Amino acid sequence: MAEKLLEVKNLKQYFNAGKPSEVKAIDNISFDIYRGETFGLVGESGCGKSTTGRTIIRLYDATDGEVLYDGVSVHGNKSKAEVKSLNQKMQMIFQDPYASLNPRMKVLDIIAEGLDIHGLVKNAKERKQKVIELLETVGLNKEHAERYPHEFSGGQRQRIGIARALAVNPEFIIADEPISALDVSIQAQVVNLLRDLQKEKGLTYLFIAHDLSMVKYISDRIGVMYFGKLVEMATAEELYKNPMHPYTKSLLSAIPLPDPIYERSRVRTPYNPNDHKYGPDEKVEFREVTPDHFVLCSDKEFAQMKKEIK
Amino acid sequence: MQLDKQQLPPEKFERVVIDNDSAERITKPSLSFWQDAWLRLRKNKAAIVSMVVLVLLVLMALVGPHLNGRSGDVQNLRHANLPPKIPGIEKLGIFNGVGELGGQKLDLYEVKKVDEYYWFGTDGLGRDLFTRLWEGTQISLLIAFIAALIDVVIGVAYGGISGYFGGRTDDVMQRVVEILIGIPTLIVVILMILIMEPGITAIIIAISITGWIGMSRIVRAQILKFKGQEFVLASRTLGASHNRIITKHLLPNILGIVIINTMFTIPSAIFFEAFLSFIGIGLQPPAASLGTLINDGYKVMEFQPYVLLFPALVISILMIAFNLIGDGLRDALDPKMKD
Amino acid sequence: MEKILQVKDLELSFHTFAGEVKAIRGVSFDLKKGETLAIVGESGSGKSVTTKSIMRLLPESSSEFKNGQILFDNKDLTKLPERDMQKIRGKEISMIFQDPMTSLNPTMPIGKQVMEPILKHQKVSKAKAKEVTIELLKMVGIPNAEVRYKMYPHQFSGGQRQRIVIAIALACNPKVLIADEPTTALDVTIQAQILELMKDIQKKVDTSIIFITHDLGVVANVADRVAVMYGGRIVEVGTVDEIFYNPQHPYTWGLLSSMPSLDLEEERLYAIPGTPPDLLNPPVGDAFALRSEYALKIDLEQAPPMFQVSDTHYAATWLLHPNAPKVEPPASIIERMKTFPGSRYYETKGGNV
Repeated sequence: MAEKLLEVKNLKQYFNAGKPSEVKAIDNISFDIYRGETFGLVGESGCGKSTTGRTIIRLYDATDGEVLYDGVSVHGNKSKAEVKSLNQKMQMIFQDPYASLNPRMKVLDIIAEGLDIHGLVKNAKERKQKVIELLETVGLNKEHAERYPHEFSGGQRQRIGIARALAVNPEFIIADEPISALDVSIQAQVVNLLRDLQKEKGLTYLFIAHDLSMVKYISDRIGVMYFGKLVEMATAEELYKNPMHPYTKSLLSAIPLPDPIYERSRVRTPYNPNDHKYGPDEKVEFREVTPDHFVLCSDKEFAQMKKEIK
Repeated sequence: MQLDKQQLPPEKFERVVIDNDSAERITKPSLSFWQDAWLRLRKNKAAIVSMVVLVLLVLMALVGPHLNGRSGDVQNLRHANLPPKIPGIEKLGIFNGVGELGGQKLDLYEVKKVDEYYWFGTDGLGRDLFTRLWEGTQISLLIAFIAALIDVVIGVAYGGISGYFGGRTDDVMQRVVEILIGIPTLIVVILMILIMEPGITAIIIAISITGWIGMSRIVRAQILKFKGQEFVLASRTLGASHNRIITKHLLPNILGIVIINTMFTIPSAIFFEAFLSFIGIGLQPPAASLGTLINDGYKVMEFQPYVLLFPALVISILMIAFNLIGDGLRDALDPKMKD
Repeated sequence: MEKILQVKDLELSFHTFAGEVKAIRGVSFDLKKGETLAIVGESGSGKSVTTKSIMRLLPESSSEFKNGQILFDNKDLTKLPERDMQKIRGKEISMIFQDPMTSLNPTMPIGKQVMEPILKHQKVSKAKAKEVTIELLKMVGIPNAEVRYKMYPHQFSGGQRQRIVIAIALACNPKVLIADEPTTALDVTIQAQILELMKDIQKKVDTSIIFITHDLGVVANVADRVAVMYGGRIVEVGTVDEIFYNPQHPYTWGLLSSMPSLDLEEERLYAIPGTPPDLLNPPVGDAFALRSEYALKIDLEQAPPMFQVSDTHYAATWLLHPNAPKVEPPASIIERMKTFPGSRYYETKGGNV
């Protein structure tokens, strides 16, 4: 088995904890990400998938639970050096290509920000050289360095965001809905770029999205979130072929595909969380139904699923 | 929908390979935010005219008091209450020194045997109103600029700290603001002036004591908006310090709004100073400001309207100019108006 | 079939600080009674502008009709005075916007908002209007409509709000319903419900729908006919099957093959290189040529006319000219064409239609 790069253990993130307005954005989730793989996290808006990404990269402090990166806890009190090294190893790509670049800065300075903070270049000439290299890596060129973000299209901006993340040579990148704000023809460009970079640099991704077809394409393993809980986790193939949790089934049945004949016969399975009819003392846990395929279920459901497999 | 009827030579249908770079090329010239804003501002005629007018007024405020070699506080009772007389224009029948004396229209310069020209006339103490007007403008502008500067410094710092650090700090700071805003400004000002010697310093402090609150609120709201934006989050994930986030990411983005707001603060400071002087708790004689001049003119409005006319004109032009520039800057700098 | 709406050679420009943006550069299509026409394209292709110009919702100060006609009910909407346009808007043609959060007035009960167009455009009593409103709310699937009628928008979820927006749009039985990305802001499961609702309603009230979207999955689901827009022009138009199983324009090829399919294992996605054209200085000739690997010399000189593929299928690409070389579309497109009778890759044995 591959080496674990990131371990999320019983992570909880409550906003306004203890107040009547308490929101359980992440409610006790655990998963691991292996070195070199792409882990997809899908779910609908408000399910906590973006919060998960932001908590892992320390934009939020966790309410409870642990995130271990390479065996080292990410949260809690850390020395400056430790924080710096984490910042360099873990990077993030954001959703909104319009909001994620500072409109008052030149592309050169945007991409070089990580270089400046971590002192990775010695002088202005080297700095510029490095930025041009990064621009070329993401399919842009040196003429773009002196321009301002508003002059670029959405796809180009997203690539600038990727270049900024790559500047510090990270090992692990959290991509928070990196393509959902882009046009279809541009999405493929960005996804291809991410895959190429992964091969070239051995990157590990946490790919957060609501578009299941893209997630399936790019991910090795996928976790499905519903209202702060991880309801199912399996390899991409397995999840699409044998979804077990009713929510996953409903999600899969709702995706429209660019295939009119299929669309005419597609039947949607609705999901109602009350259908589980969990009793008050039933333990609803994340259980491994088949190897590497985990489902959030009760004892009874677990037995049922096991039976259906045989 | 038509089918193509024309004959096209077959060689036109050769395949060509398009260089991918050309699809990424950006044809527009590269413009920074400020260059872009300037292009917009330049198209706003009202704002440009206002800027020219404002520059002229500021120049006059600086050199005007020295133009005719008279001092603004030298009294010459023999030359009191002279109407304006301007060489050249006098032939047109206006500004020719004619005024009323005992119900008759007379050239008062002849009556009083004055050979000199008082361009804007003199007041009841025989002081040259031209010199006094520009001295007054100078002081009014000085007060307004200093008050606005203090507003900006305190407002941006206070609002910035409150918005950026948030949480408990923000709570406490906002309660303080709410208490301050609850006290009527005029009462604070009157109390201030009772304690302190009336004068420029007292007025500046009076204007600034609550004036920065508006600015601080705007800055706080802007900081709250920007600090949650993804480019700031991105900078945080790269490990940027507070200092870096504030100076590189937040301040440059709120600068536009701060400038616009200052453009509206200055005229209201001018107006407030004029108001204080007008009700008699501002500058004390013999010092002149637009407010005291208007107050003087108001007293003799029926007999010598020109005493009121010139300072009133200058203050009106100043107000309009600042407001038009402010509007122009808002259109040019506000990203919501983009395209 | 009867043509409800005809757009002929429409050209429209925006005047901006930077200069004239030619947002629509000669668009023609017609809408038949009872059909759903999907307009697909990326942002900046002119799809939203086209429909907003039908509704005349563009700012008069900065936009200008350069040429062409929009014929509805024997009237040219581009020349109609604002007063007459107001009678058409909401009554004959109505619109559903993308964001259900902002297209409802937050300070007004939803019932009142649905009732407003009824009272405005139809001479009915208040009681009758209320009755119709409750019926409409029931039809769009708001449970307990009699009670919820008095509630405010914030008391509804995003999906329900979009249902209410649809109810408002349907209030006066419009002949044409324009839906501008109505499901883009919604989650997949909610999107599926709204799409089902719209298809359902269309069967009931027999209105024609113009459906604007960039999501080809949604198009496959709802459309009868599809128009593909690029760079301010329609580059291909045809029935949904023709567009999805026998596409002719390289841009359509690119769009279709850049989406991953759920069952195929692809090593690499087909990606259209570059970025959409800048309509401030639109390229000469075929706007897509600069991003196309199938570009011909003539593409860079002259814009292609619409070539007829079948009675219902037209595409604007020089590749269809008799002199053009035969080119091989991307692999996934050939896969698609294999299932379509009439396409040049049709395989009689392999089709499981």
